Amino acid sequence: MRSEVDMSNVLDKLREYSKPGYYDEFDYHWTMTIDLDRCTGCEACVVACQAENNLPIVGEERYAEAREIKWIRIERYWEGEFPDVKLNFIPMLCQHCDEAPCETACPVFATYHNQDGLNTQIYNRCIGTRTCAVYCPYEVRYFNWFTYTWDEPLEQQLNPDVSVREKGVMEKCTFCIQRIRMAKDNAKDDGRRRVRDGEVVPACVQSCPTEAMSFGDSNDPDSKVSQVMNSPRGYKVLEELNTVPSVIYLKKVHDDV
Amino acid sequence: MSISVSEALRPARKPALIGVVAVVGIFVGVWINDTYFSDRTPVQPIEFSHRVHASDNEIPCQYCHIYASRSPSAGVPSVAKCMGCHTAVADARERPEVLKLAGYWDRQEPIPWVKVHDVPDFVHFTHKRHVLAGVQCQECHGPVQDMDRITRIAPMTMPWCVDCHTEREVENGRDCWTCHK
Repeated sequence: MRSEVDMSNVLDKLREYSKPGYYDEFDYHWTMTIDLDRCTGCEACVVACQAENNLPIVGEERYAEAREIKWIRIERYWEGEFPDVKLNFIPMLCQHCDEAPCETACPVFATYHNQDGLNTQIYNRCIGTRTCAVYCPYEVRYFNWFTYTWDEPLEQQLNPDVSVREKGVMEKCTFCIQRIRMAKDNAKDDGRRRVRDGEVVPACVQSCPTEAMSFGDSNDPDSKVSQVMNSPRGYKVLEELNTVPSVIYLKKVHDDV
Repeated sequence: MSISVSEALRPARKPALIGVVAVVGIFVGVWINDTYFSDRTPVQPIEFSHRVHASDNEIPCQYCHIYASRSPSAGVPSVAKCMGCHTAVADARERPEVLKLAGYWDRQEPIPWVKVHDVPDFVHFTHKRHVLAGVQCQECHGPVQDMDRITRIAPMTMPWCVDCHTEREVENGRDCWTCHK
């Protein structure tokens, strides 16, 4: 005869295992804030991301098939009826959710949460089931339907710190993890354990002409990002889904409200 | 009437024998391939001997591989670096291998060394971090000072990296993005 199952233990286990990445606390908690009041929709971030992360130019046909790859994109929202219309921009990138739906879906654990609060994707491990892209409510995961090549001499401008992805691999924004790694490396050389605020600047943040974006460690209360994210204008996209995103948007303020 | 076990297995003997020979053959073949035809000990354009330089003449590794402690790549010394010593060394232009070096120097060509230790493009590896952490060159590259022609000792595979990171309790050493890129 079997003894009774201790349900509390089972629930504890369930809670433990259902937590993406198995981290209760993050070493760093990389966070980005985007001030929509400052965003002009110039797409400098999109271009910077393209250059930094070896994103392919997919071409007109592929774009029409909705197979473009842009780790950050500018979404346009029109408000009101013509002629009284307003245009709002939202730069949309991987939200690095602390409770990421995509991480629960991957059958081979190619995407997981690391100790820095980053939702990461290992390209070698990915087998291209595209389940994560289905689970992502923000639609920010991109699949390589083809192996893209760069014509000479354009392959010379590829970033050596970022691998060139092949056909059949899912990819997405990494918060420029190669720059985070570089900053940590430099910090170690200086004999510091921690990276200072402002040392890690992703390509999109660096390129923003209106400085609408800021990036930093929200575990550090003195960092710029910690102060900005507590603004009363701050909100998270699709917060009601309990994905706990690491990207905080600051609401646009209309002068007529 | 009874039948013995060996009698019953008689029809299976031939296939079994073939199977055993095939398995042994596979192992022998892999061994021969690994020993004689692997890329672990490629022939270099110059028969450069690390034994002569690092062991007999006691030149430290980082005298020639100058970037090991400050860059991802350890650096192959330039021909100028080689010639810096070999113009001063007494028998500089007598030995055939040194004459080859002098030929490259005269033609102002780089030596097309064959890379022995390589990691795939999707791996982020820096010599700097490892050297500054106190890892000896020989721990990964084997007893280079006793080699005439360089042989790759380490498998250079992911489990091999992870084992060492686990053993030394490297901070975040088992996070995928520590090494993958």
